[in-house]
Amino acid sequence: MIQLFQQSSGNETNIILPFSFIGFSMLALILSQLLILLNGDLIVSGVFRLPAIWSAAHLFVLGWALMVAMGAMYQLVPVAFLTPIWNEKFGFWQLAVTTAGIVSFAAALYLRPQDALLPGILTLLGILMFIFQMFMTLKSQAKPNVLTLFVGTALFSLLATITFGITLVLSMKTGFASSYYQAIFKTHILLGTVGWFSFLIFGFSYKMVPMFSLSHAYSMKPAPYVFSVYVVGIIFLISSFLTGSHLFEVLGTLMLFAGFMIFTWHVKMIIDKRVKKKLDRPFMFALFAIGCGAFIHFAAFAGSAVNFLSKMAGPIILLYLVAWIAFSIIGYLYKIVPFLWWTHKYSKEIGKKKVPALKDMMDEKLAIPLFIMFTAGTILLLLSFIVKLMPVFYISQGLIVIGSALFSYIIAKVVTI
Amino acid sequence: MTELKEKIRENLKTVIDPELNINVVDLGLIYEIGVPEPRTARILMTLTTPGCPLHDSIASGIKYSVQSMEEIDRADVQLTWEPAWTPDRITEEGKRLLQGF
Repeated sequence: MIQLFQQSSGNETNIILPFSFIGFSMLALILSQLLILLNGDLIVSGVFRLPAIWSAAHLFVLGWALMVAMGAMYQLVPVAFLTPIWNEKFGFWQLAVTTAGIVSFAAALYLRPQDALLPGILTLLGILMFIFQMFMTLKSQAKPNVLTLFVGTALFSLLATITFGITLVLSMKTGFASSYYQAIFKTHILLGTVGWFSFLIFGFSYKMVPMFSLSHAYSMKPAPYVFSVYVVGIIFLISSFLTGSHLFEVLGTLMLFAGFMIFTWHVKMIIDKRVKKKLDRPFMFALFAIGCGAFIHFAAFAGSAVNFLSKMAGPIILLYLVAWIAFSIIGYLYKIVPFLWWTHKYSKEIGKKKVPALKDMMDEKLAIPLFIMFTAGTILLLLSFIVKLMPVFYISQGLIVIGSALFSYIIAKVVTI
Repeated sequence: MTELKEKIRENLKTVIDPELNINVVDLGLIYEIGVPEPRTARILMTLTTPGCPLHDSIASGIKYSVQSMEEIDRADVQLTWEPAWTPDRITEEGKRLLQGF
């Protein structure tokens, strides 16, 4: 018993902040999925680059996934890195600016894409404020670790993504860097998906997987290899966008696949060391997302190897966003949201009276139909691209819209407990 | 004195880790219970992992729980990571509860 610590670290964030991000994100999720449903004829025919689709994609990626990630980070960063949020008041200002930015940006993309620059800059400002907040928070962390590397790289990728995004809008409006438009566009998508979300999910998985499975005495040695191999994959792919080299494209997708497989194997090693034998269903859904991610990475590599990636890009990106990123977020939100509400409502009651377990705060009975709905919807959606039949698309996207509404209901219900 | 310490230990069984739904005693989080002076308790505890999100809540719960006892006015709760918690610290009852959850 050598080292003693203070009993309270004071690392709890005001619940209104993360909940506001998550609340807004659920509205954005439903709206984005409705927009996709209403523009099904274009999507099924393989036309992705149209204002309505841009709007839906940005509502989904920025309005839902990014806002969820921000809300979760306001809660997770203080507890995972043992350091309080740098400035909570600044967090509320960041929430206001980012929300105004994303709403106006999605609306501009839908109605007048050529006027998306100002709303885009407002969104950029909100995201910059978030990155600054996280930078100041992480800076005060006593001892950086591998998690800091993953989360820091994710934040850097986010910054690069929005910088490239603004460059795209500028290029569209003024013709600036128009000869590099395609390379910038692809880099924007790559860094926004692979760079930002994947590194963030990798990083927080290393914190949450052992916690939810009560794993101990596992090795963290593979983590730096996951990081290095994945980064090399990103560099190769960006090089292929700039040079048009097919070899770089194959090497890039191969390294991303290899990095992801090391991550998958590492998570399996952690899970094998678990004390808790019976895992929660939502947590298993997050693990299922890792399996989906492995399949998607392999499909991208295989497609690239036979020089077919450009034709598969649309469905691959969609699957990446839904089956890897969205499924991971949904699985983890099932744990994060009850924790937030429990902390708010019961952290002062524990020890005084009987308090509920986190597992009792979110309806697990609805979890199975929800996960089946999302999984079946995604598989059918993929099928609709292949068979190009509108009824298949409407059934699949309909399932995803209903799933999104059901998921929002399950989350909203937590605050009644 | 031993009797009081045992009473404190029993009382701490009302404090649960809400993620695992097991009380802090059977989970093996309580390292030491001391009564350094009359009506004052000192609890040395750990958590299953550093950076546990329930850090503050569990520590406060332990404090409230002990201070609610008739025999105690003040409880000092100290958190340590050394030695680190291991699953070997879970009691037989804790293991039984863990399998059922």
